[in-house]
Amino acid sequence: MNALLRVLSLPAVFLSKIPGLAPVVRACSTSVGQKFLMAITGLSLIGFLVVHLAGNLQLFAGEAVFNAYAEKLHSLGPLLGIAEVGLFATFAAHIGLAISTASMNKLARKSSYALKETKQGLFILPAGGASSWMMVTGLLIFGFLVIHIMDLKLKKGFGVDYTAAMNADNEAVNSFQAVKAVLSHPVHAGIYFVCLIALGIHLSHGIRSALQTLGLHHKNWNFALRTLGFVMAWGIAGGFISLIVWALGSKS
Amino acid sequence: MSSDLLNLTLRVWRQAAPNQPGEFRDYRLNGVSTHMSFLEMLDVLNEQLIAQGEVPVAFDHDCREGICGMCSLMINGQAHGPDRGTTSCQLHMRRFRNGETITIEPWRADPFPVIRDLVVNRSAFDRIIQAGGFVSVNTGNAPDGNSVPVPGVRQEMAMDAAACIGCGACVAACKNASAMLFVSAKVSQLSILPQGQPERANRVLNMVAQMDKEGFGSCTNTSECEAACPAEVSVAHIARLNREYMKAMLFADH
Ligand code: HEM
Ligand code: SF4
Ligand code: FES
Repeated sequence: MNALLRVLSLPAVFLSKIPGLAPVVRACSTSVGQKFLMAITGLSLIGFLVVHLAGNLQLFAGEAVFNAYAEKLHSLGPLLGIAEVGLFATFAAHIGLAISTASMNKLARKSSYALKETKQGLFILPAGGASSWMMVTGLLIFGFLVIHIMDLKLKKGFGVDYTAAMNADNEAVNSFQAVKAVLSHPVHAGIYFVCLIALGIHLSHGIRSALQTLGLHHKNWNFALRTLGFVMAWGIAGGFISLIVWALGSKS
Repeated sequence: MSSDLLNLTLRVWRQAAPNQPGEFRDYRLNGVSTHMSFLEMLDVLNEQLIAQGEVPVAFDHDCREGICGMCSLMINGQAHGPDRGTTSCQLHMRRFRNGETITIEPWRADPFPVIRDLVVNRSAFDRIIQAGGFVSVNTGNAPDGNSVPVPGVRQEMAMDAAACIGCGACVAACKNASAMLFVSAKVSQLSILPQGQPERANRVLNMVAQMDKEGFGSCTNTSECEAACPAEVSVAHIARLNREYMKAMLFADH
């Protein structure tokens, strides 16, 4: 456990050597600082999701439009590579902090109650609302990412037939057809659906929680911000789910 | 009221000493008046146990009027029992039904080790206060009360935070055993008032550092603490603590 923690803290040791970053790194070693970083990485990942969804909704516009978009994206070359590295680093940081804070929380109560109730009334899910499901839904999202990258980045999805997306050299280059091939596979579509529901749950607590962690709490604004967060969470999840529905419908 | 007397089964956590294993023990208690407070009911239980030659149940209490924060009891899975804004000592037996089984446990959090039965050691809170929950003033003559102007709203905000009685229910109710509501109440109370300004940045940094050192969990923003708090301290103070902390961490002049 200690050795693992030492390895996990290596990036922090490295970053603290960069001038100006020492106080930031020091903040990250505290519970409040770690939550702060979780909120920032979480919101950045939402930023990515919004851009990704906006791009993918062009599937509705048909093969030509979507493939033109995909090509433009790939023509960014090294820029895309840098963005991808940044995205992976953000994911790694978010997950690392999730594990760090969750283990801190577990250690804080090693023997649990025989009986535990809540005084909060309206709970969307039992036992603490969506907030009790952050690790579970987070891990589902992580599992989804692995499958998703196999499916549509490496085009090596388990049991998926990419024939329609292939060019003369048997390379799966047609993005539109590749998406259709993956989403019309019932097992893949099923996994995507379940994981996107998990994403909706994760974000319905995550956005609200991130606002509070960043100190945004004011009685004039709470209702508006929380409503917006809820709509955004399910808007993003629903937006992606609509693509699965679309693929099922256009299966010919 | 048809029945003013309750016959109850009490499932009470018994533990002889800090590092010993504990267990639940069931006790029958008959003829409990609905006018009794919860602690008076425990007093009656102890009378009965002493009469039977058994060791009475150890539980913490002092003021018995909701201001000292000693009566830390988990009652049927709720910190301080089922009512909002109420301490265990202010809880009345009319809240329970005849024939009911009532489960009574100590606060469960590793920074609050059980001393005996239902009594836990909350010194961790004292050490957090010692780390920064104060103002340093070289005393001289008493200053004129009006020499430090504080707007009414600020006074009220500080008072809402100062209402915290340090009972630990927020820690007990939180699934992470986080002390953020307590610490935020103490940080807020002083950061809102002019008297708290000189030590503002160091206070929040030191108190959070001590909170982490004591081994409390982190805040998941579930708001279970706010619901359980007998002083109804709001999680708005946690948001303020977060702001204070980041401001101090990134921009303090030291
Ligand atoms: C697209 C992917 C993801 C997005 C957009 C996202 C977003 C967020 C946001 C905004 C928060 C709130 C931060 C806060 O508590 O202040 C959060 C919290 C959290 N996330 Fe994620 N997350 C994602 C993926 C993951 C993954 C893959 C995991 C785990 C393996 C994970 C685990 C957690 C946990 C455990 C929390 C904190 C729960 C708590 O203490 O309240 N997340 N996430
Ligand atoms: S914040 Fe509320 S629950 Fe926590 S110690 Fe203070 S009075 Fe008790
Ligand atoms: S005994 Fe003092 S608050 Fe309950």
